[in-house]
Amino acid sequence: MTVVLQQGINGIVLGSLYVLVALGLTLVYGVLVQINFAHADIVTLGAFSAYFFMHGLGGGYIPSIAVALLVGGILGWLMNAAIFAPLREKGSELLPLIATIGVSVMMENAMLAWFGPIPYAFDSPYSNHVMRLGGTFITLQNALIIAVSAATIALLYAFMKFTFLGKALRAVAQDRETAGLMGINPNQLVMLTFVIASALAGMAGAMLGPVLVLTPFAGTSVIVKAFAIVIIGGFGNVEGTILAGLVVGLIESYTTQYLGPGMIDIVVFVLLLLMLAVRPTGLIAERREENV
Amino acid sequence: MTMRLRIRHIAAGVIVASVLVVASARAEDKTIKIGALLPISGPGSYFGAQDKQGIELALEQINKTGVNGRKLEVRYEDSGCSPLPATQAAKRLIEQYKPDVVIGEECSDATLAIMPLMEEANVPLLNAGSSSIKITEPGNPWTFRIMPNEVMQGVDIATNAYKRLNARTAVLLYENTNAGIGNAKVFNETFTKLGGKILADIGFGRDVNDFTSIATRIAGLGAVDVIPTYTLEGQGLKITQALAQAGVTKGGGGNAIQLGTIWLPFGFEQKAGKAALGYIRIVQFDPTDQRPAVRDFIAAFKAKYNQEPTHLHAHAYDQITLIADAIKRGASDPKSIRDALAATKNFSGVTGSAEFDKTNQNVKMDTVHYMETQPDLSWKALKWN
Repeated sequence: MTVVLQQGINGIVLGSLYVLVALGLTLVYGVLVQINFAHADIVTLGAFSAYFFMHGLGGGYIPSIAVALLVGGILGWLMNAAIFAPLREKGSELLPLIATIGVSVMMENAMLAWFGPIPYAFDSPYSNHVMRLGGTFITLQNALIIAVSAATIALLYAFMKFTFLGKALRAVAQDRETAGLMGINPNQLVMLTFVIASALAGMAGAMLGPVLVLTPFAGTSVIVKAFAIVIIGGFGNVEGTILAGLVVGLIESYTTQYLGPGMIDIVVFVLLLLMLAVRPTGLIAERREENV
Repeated sequence: MTMRLRIRHIAAGVIVASVLVVASARAEDKTIKIGALLPISGPGSYFGAQDKQGIELALEQINKTGVNGRKLEVRYEDSGCSPLPATQAAKRLIEQYKPDVVIGEECSDATLAIMPLMEEANVPLLNAGSSSIKITEPGNPWTFRIMPNEVMQGVDIATNAYKRLNARTAVLLYENTNAGIGNAKVFNETFTKLGGKILADIGFGRDVNDFTSIATRIAGLGAVDVIPTYTLEGQGLKITQALAQAGVTKGGGGNAIQLGTIWLPFGFEQKAGKAALGYIRIVQFDPTDQRPAVRDFIAAFKAKYNQEPTHLHAHAYDQITLIADAIKRGASDPKSIRDALAATKNFSGVTGSAEFDKTNQNVKMDTVHYMETQPDLSWKALKWN
């Protein structure tokens, strides 16, 4: 029974991490109907920003999360302003998509050149604090991951539902042209989407850093799962993404326990194929225009 | 100028040009071209980065005087620790560079992929970092391996675990690659034959990031004496930390001892922290070895790079010095280098000795050094071999 409970805790931690990464992906897809392949590299850069803030500048771990959030946001703004927005203006949907692949490869290699290939030991002060209760355990870092993930979800939900900008963002997601006629500047809101999504990715990097193996390829190792979660949750559906993230995290933990870790990808991707075949709208079915 | 004089001038020009071309060709002949297939990108790229430092140091030392009037030259290609990029890199190297000998790869899957290409091109391949038995069994006339293979390592680790550590139960943790599966299999066979029991056999992909669930599963198995672990550095770090957090290993207050192989670089313990306490692993190079060759290598390495050498630096260094040794014994082209490597006797490198059997496997076991992580994260050499 303890093992079952422990694997449940492990699954929620893992799911929370996946949700942090997948939220940004789903936001961009919800508003732009565009997949951002560079998202993984923003996660990685966020992790490195937090690492160097702590180990280079002597900062604390909690402030380093804010630094990673800021770095991610600035990077999102830069990428959209310099690359994606000009390409979108050319009217092609394919060009920005391909550009995200180009940006991803460029960033990965730039990070390889700057940071080198050798894994970094990114331990937060909370990584080695283990709390034990009734035969179960959780590190303080993992508890922090759950807390930050929950707070991020709550703040994002509040932003989308109750603020003018959030409502405007949803309006752009539903119908960009009509939103424009209502006095909303769609380009500014697309920019805002990129900034929020990238800031979330940066922050996810800071949270993942102590859990992941920190190399220039760190983000790439979770992004495939994040894409799967976005699909299982329903393309661009925030609530679906949150649910799918937690489901995938729990599936991974229990698969490891009862079938072996070698079966994880098989189980997750069979689920993905089943969702595509049986329920292509995702776990929480909604009209696409209401997703974000 | 008469026609006859013009013809004489032209003829003289042709002769001078021919002499220059021949001289230039001979100068080129005096360079031994070494292709290096190393993982420079991807999760195994720490191998490539460290190998390159060892290679560059060896080249610098050897090329000061040359060997038998020849200089050594190396061209690096990124083989990515994986079969597809390794095959592409090997083809590029063979077609464009036309090497006399090739060193690499580190990862068994990549080495197995490039072996047929080297055999087809009749270029000797000298390997120092891949452990899969398939590389030298049943034997490939063009592939040589300095490091002990998975059988040599696995039998030795399992025997030492059973006899020296009195281990009776084990959990196998390994990445799902040729090397991971092969090493775990040999440990399993040897350990169970001696009377030990394998409680769980856990393979995982290289994309697994969080090992808490695996550690939880192991914690639920009861008393585990040893956990042989076969993985690259990144995942290895997370496994060690997760096992300690779950209270399984000595580093987390448990009783289990993690056992590891040559795969992990030096400095692993410092990165893993106290979780690595009691970790026993094989390294291919003992920095406390007092042989003059080892002391000189360490001094030269520190002088050049201002850092301590690791076993990866050392085995890359040995690959180049072994090739230089073959050149010294008269080898000058791919076939003669292959023959000279096969005839190697009593070569003493910084990792240990080399002498190849009929499968071109180094049979000397003094390249296997056991180390145990101490509470201050330093190493204690166990002198088990």
